[in-house]
Amino acid sequence: MTQFGTWQPKIRGKLFYNWPQGACEEALRFTSAGQLGGEPYDVVIVGAGVVGCGLAYRLSQYDLRVLLVDRLHDVGEGTSKANSALIHSGYDAKPGSLESKLLHEAEADWPGLAARLKIPLDPIGGIMMAVTDEQERQLEAAEKNAHANRAIDVRILSAAEIREREPNASPDVRGGLLVPSESLVDPFMASIAYAEIALANGVDILLGADIAGVELGQPPGAPLHHLVTADGPRLPARRIVNAAGLGSRRLADGYGGGAFDINPRRGQFLLFDKSARPLVQHILLPVPTAHTKGVLVAPTIFGNLLAGPTAEDLPLNDPAATHTTVEGIRRVLEGGSRLVDGLARQPVIATYAGARCACSQGSYVIRHNDGAPGIVTITGVRSTGLTASISLARHLIDGMQKELGLELSPDSAALDSRPDSAWPGWWRRPFENGATDARADHGCAVCFCEVISGGEIRAALDSPLKPRTMDALKRRTRVLSGRCQGFDCQVSLAEIVSGHTGIGMAQLTKNGPGSELVAPGQAEFTA
Amino acid sequence: MSGGQHFKVAIIGGGPAGIGVAVGLAKRGIGPVVLIERRAGVGGTPMGYRKKPGGVPTFVEWTRGRVVFGEELAGRMAKRLAKTDTTIRLSAQVTQIDPAEKRLTLLGREGVCDVTADAVVLAAGAREQTPAEKGWLAGARTARIGFTRHITGWLDGHGLLPARKPVVVGSDLIAYSVAAKLRAAGSDEPVMIDRRRSPSAGLFERLFFRRWTRPDWSGDVTAAGIKGDRSAAGVQSSDGQDWHGDGVMICGELVPNTELALLGGLAVELPSRQLQLARGQALSEPGWFAAGNVLGGFHGAQWCYFNGRQAARRVANFLK
Ligand SMILES: Cc1cc2nc3c(=O)[nH]c(=O)nc-3n(C[C@H](O)[C@H](O)[C@H](O)COP(=O)(O)OP(=O)(O)OC[C@H]3O[C@@H](n4cnc5c(N)ncnc54)[C@H](O)[C@@H]3O)c2cc1C
Ligand SMILES: Cc1cc2nc3c(=O)[nH]c(=O)nc-3n(C[C@H](O)[C@H](O)[C@H](O)COP(=O)(O)OP(=O)(O)OC[C@H]3O[C@@H](n4cnc5c(N)ncnc54)[C@H](O)[C@@H]3O)c2cc1C
Repeated sequence: MTQFGTWQPKIRGKLFYNWPQGACEEALRFTSAGQLGGEPYDVVIVGAGVVGCGLAYRLSQYDLRVLLVDRLHDVGEGTSKANSALIHSGYDAKPGSLESKLLHEAEADWPGLAARLKIPLDPIGGIMMAVTDEQERQLEAAEKNAHANRAIDVRILSAAEIREREPNASPDVRGGLLVPSESLVDPFMASIAYAEIALANGVDILLGADIAGVELGQPPGAPLHHLVTADGPRLPARRIVNAAGLGSRRLADGYGGGAFDINPRRGQFLLFDKSARPLVQHILLPVPTAHTKGVLVAPTIFGNLLAGPTAEDLPLNDPAATHTTVEGIRRVLEGGSRLVDGLARQPVIATYAGARCACSQGSYVIRHNDGAPGIVTITGVRSTGLTASISLARHLIDGMQKELGLELSPDSAALDSRPDSAWPGWWRRPFENGATDARADHGCAVCFCEVISGGEIRAALDSPLKPRTMDALKRRTRVLSGRCQGFDCQVSLAEIVSGHTGIGMAQLTKNGPGSELVAPGQAEFTA
Repeated sequence: MSGGQHFKVAIIGGGPAGIGVAVGLAKRGIGPVVLIERRAGVGGTPMGYRKKPGGVPTFVEWTRGRVVFGEELAGRMAKRLAKTDTTIRLSAQVTQIDPAEKRLTLLGREGVCDVTADAVVLAAGAREQTPAEKGWLAGARTARIGFTRHITGWLDGHGLLPARKPVVVGSDLIAYSVAAKLRAAGSDEPVMIDRRRSPSAGLFERLFFRRWTRPDWSGDVTAAGIKGDRSAAGVQSSDGQDWHGDGVMICGELVPNTELALLGGLAVELPSRQLQLARGQALSEPGWFAAGNVLGGFHGAQWCYFNGRQAARRVANFLK
């Protein structure tokens, strides 16, 4: 029988939050570089998106001193939290490109990887749908391209075959392309699970620390660099991996990295309620145009339905890169309705936008000894980084061995998976599947929409990365992500977090300092 | 999963409407009846609006010209319920229904169990519309977008102000009571906007709240989205104007809690989430009824209680 409880492995790494006093427990608070131990790191990864977390996970298999640092307040809180949540087969990549190679490798990795990370993956497959004659004429070329990408199971479907599989397909459908190995995944838990295992294996993790600059060490030999945080502490590093996504340009400027230009390419989404889920059976993809892949309609692994994304280029550092717009959402609904009948009448839960890291020099741009010896830049991980995170990590480590002289000796004590009891997780619930050993508080719902109990929330708070913000809890348990968007549970949820951690109600945040749930600067008075 | 217990009637929700059903059935001698409530106590939405000496009544119902606090009102109803033989299951949420079998799946402290009945009444109440449901599509997803329930939770429960410069969206009774409550607790005079030309609260209601607040009112404003990146910094309207503040309060305009019906396959209109009634309070499947705010619209607690009594009459006729 399943044992329910938090995964509490022996944790060999250190975890700190660079937060003001009171925002988290004092024991978790980063106040000086000394807390990390004085010794230089063999590798510091800047950016705890899915790319940085995947790399930390792979590096944690070896005897190395590694630090993973991010300016945000949880792992996977940047671009990695707002995407289409699909594992791509790479059928539409540019044949021969690094992206094509990485996606092809990753496709073979994912079933086993998801089982090791203990995250849900659902290989429901995709159908690219042609809804005009012109699009229909493009199917053959698309099929050829897929086969060139070694996606040999891709084949053309007739309109009748599509209707049989998708009763709610648009009446305009002319034919399509079956892409069997496109899958749904939990995008949040990918970064989290990578990081939890890395932490257990001894990788140090520092969150809330903006790297404002780099002090380069002097050759000869492997020079000792220092990463300088915005608040002053300096972090010594023999090697640095710039996996900062949209922050990679600013970081590269700090070490004189080579020329590349990036900008956010915004993608807006509509998220529908669970009543919409039965509308589609596959991931429905439009026929891409020269400019964009277009708006897809896909179930989420959580049982909702999403439509999106748009593709809008914005200037670097534009805060609107993750904002939605009336016009953008209208285009998403229009695009989705071209594929699926009846989409427009489905109730919408939320809208969101993510920002791809678009790079004029191409996708998956990797530079070794960039600006100075020991520094690797990885940028332009634009549209497929979630999928490729695992193969990219291997590829980066290969490169660091060859180009940076990184020596690897396997750590025999390292874990490569979360245990079966890894929990909480919305997909393995107490009281489900005959799991009757759950505690009473696992039956007491706090979030009524997603039916999440107080017990599950407390267990998530105790999980290895010690999530302390509402958004971090949401990504682990699904509280606040249902149809009421916190109407019913926000305050009772805050009470549970405050009660369990001792953080004052007034200090609790949505996603770190600056996003307090109540007007900032108040002291709670108990009536 | 324990074997299902069978009841004559099962009531989903222990607010004014559900209590009205239970009391009505008891008066007719119908039983056994089970009332299932996901919170720790009965009373429903009004119960969260506590009576405090000198406090601002966030929840108002005028009974014979006197203001009654939500807690008082629901408390009286709960007393009437206590005098009946109704089986009350607290902290138990109905998570699934099977309309044809009239089977309910419950999750509670003891785990999952099933309950069956000859008739079922849905009295699950309503909630306030979310930004997406309001059609506010522009902007970021920020902190400090609050609902009425949050105001009472933070203020009454913890003495914390949800916003110092609140922007209140809506202008009904609920919106005015929220503005009054915030102002009395020390916020700036709230900015109040609505797409209506003049406030939807009546003159009498507005006069009542003048003791505490005279909101900075603007009508004819259609909100299009939230301003701000990490915390709400106001509202942007469809004509490009900004309404600044440090928190946005969404007030009024309810959405019925019909998800059980929708996901269970009873007829529900989309995207409004309104129940489709066969006739009276009867739903699309025989033996299923609805009462109170789950029927849609905005109704006061007394109305919902009596609507529950009426549902009991209809259930009795069905069972005959
Ligand atoms: C609309 C959209 C849809 C997508 N759909 C899919 C899909 O279905 N499947 C798929 O595989 N991929 C998809 N992607 C792509 C995928 O989301 C990205 O490729 C991936 O998330 C990139 O991860 P990353 O780690 O490089 O970037 P990020 O997640 O952005 O991580 C970079 C991190 O660096 C941190 N950082 C930046 N600067 C600094 C600094 N100075 N100091 C400290 N930290 C810093 C940031 O805070 C951030 O957390 C999609 C992307 C978008 C936008
Ligand atoms: C924010 C807000 C402010 C209001 N202010 C006023 C006011 O000032 N004056 C006024 O007269 N009226 C006000 N009302 C209206 C008043 O709340 C209603 O008239 C009345 O409470 C409705 O009664 P009800 O029984 O239909 O629903 P509710 O009182 O909402 O009760 C429904 C009950 O069902 C339970 N429930 C729901 N789903 C399930 C499930 N699946 N399983 C188990 N239990 C479930 C809920 O927990 C709840 O207790 C307000 C309503 C809201 C939402």
